[in-house]
Amino acid sequence: MTGLVTGQSLGLLVCMRCRATVRAIGEEKSACPRCEAPLFVRRPYSLSTSAALVITAAVLYIPANVLPVMHTHEIFSDEDDTIMSGVISLAHQGSWPIALLVFFASIIVPLLKLVALGEILFAIWRGRVRHTAQRSRLFRIVEFVGRWSMLDVFALSLLASLVQIPSLATVQIRPGAFAFAGVVVLTLLAAQTFDERLLWDANTHD
Amino acid sequence: MSSVIVCHACDLAHRLDSLAAKARVRCVRCRAELYRTNDGSLDTVIALAATALVLFVLANVYPLVALTVNGSTRMTTLIGAARAFNEQGYGALAILVAFTAVAVPLTQILTLLYVLVALRLGRAAPGQKVLFRILTALRPWGMAEVFTLGAVVALVKLSAQAEVSPRVALMAYGLLMIAIAALTNATPGEQYWRWVSAHGPVPRRPATPRAVPRRGSEGRE
Repeated sequence: MTGLVTGQSLGLLVCMRCRATVRAIGEEKSACPRCEAPLFVRRPYSLSTSAALVITAAVLYIPANVLPVMHTHEIFSDEDDTIMSGVISLAHQGSWPIALLVFFASIIVPLLKLVALGEILFAIWRGRVRHTAQRSRLFRIVEFVGRWSMLDVFALSLLASLVQIPSLATVQIRPGAFAFAGVVVLTLLAAQTFDERLLWDANTHD
Repeated sequence: MSSVIVCHACDLAHRLDSLAAKARVRCVRCRAELYRTNDGSLDTVIALAATALVLFVLANVYPLVALTVNGSTRMTTLIGAARAFNEQGYGALAILVAFTAVAVPLTQILTLLYVLVALRLGRAAPGQKVLFRILTALRPWGMAEVFTLGAVVALVKLSAQAEVSPRVALMAYGLLMIAIAALTNATPGEQYWRWVSAHGPVPRRPATPRAVPRRGSEGRE
């Protein structure tokens, strides 16, 4: 990576809100002249905040998948559903495309986010220099697909609102839903607090 | 005229020579989008935002989906979906749904309408800097497209046991999702500031402006 010059070495800052390039002045706190957002060389406490959020999300991932997210009460049957059993019943029903979609959005994406963010944060913490471009690409994928995990939360809200016919069937929300939504929100926050430039800093010797 | 642009994602400095009115520039190292403007007019974007507002109202006023069992029909609205969580004691989930599916899209539409209509009338909207920051911060939390697909999933799940049908608000919401995507695409940050500097009293930004001390940090010495 010779011949590449960073903003930091030139004394230039980028506004994280409007992305204006701004000449830094001194050490004091400053604001972007264009949109007045606070400016910083690197997002303060990015690594530790992201790590804390990822760890919390990883802990919540267990109840999110083990605990039932909803309970269906019908006249002759009572049934608890976890995230995974919801996917399986969709598949049994023959709705393969939808079952696959929910499987990806609710099972694969949260797991991918936890593993990928965990690996990226660990690599930065250990000062790994190789494979930066791949990690950067991985982070962009995580950032892009992350929101889709909310799919099940929205579907659940509609089920709970629609299926309220006491003489026939009712749907009740169970604590697993709270844990699941927690995983989604915390991993979204973790991706937002992460300063991507930390990935590349180890590659720039100056 | 040449200026320096630093990549927000990897901190690499780039020298940019003159740019066309419609330009898209990526970082040579990490491929992040550094700069994007379109040659679209303010009028187009205002029309798009107004369309989105109408769709938003329709999506909220009318029922979203209907469930028919034994001849009786039950319907729910967008906000009814959020309230279902609240009624079962999950207030935080209700807020999450109301925020991502209702509040954020509405804020995005209203903010853009307010700022862009003011610019169209040749004046700077008071608070346009704060509003831009709010708009950028909210962007990842607007989940109209995810909600639409979530509704489809709920419909498919129920269709096995009951007669369900999508209603007019779901159509409106699906169109709203497209309108918001188009709106987001038509207003990249750089374009917003280009409009602001072209229509408002704010002077054109020099190539590399200096940072201004933040308010309140002066008296700290």
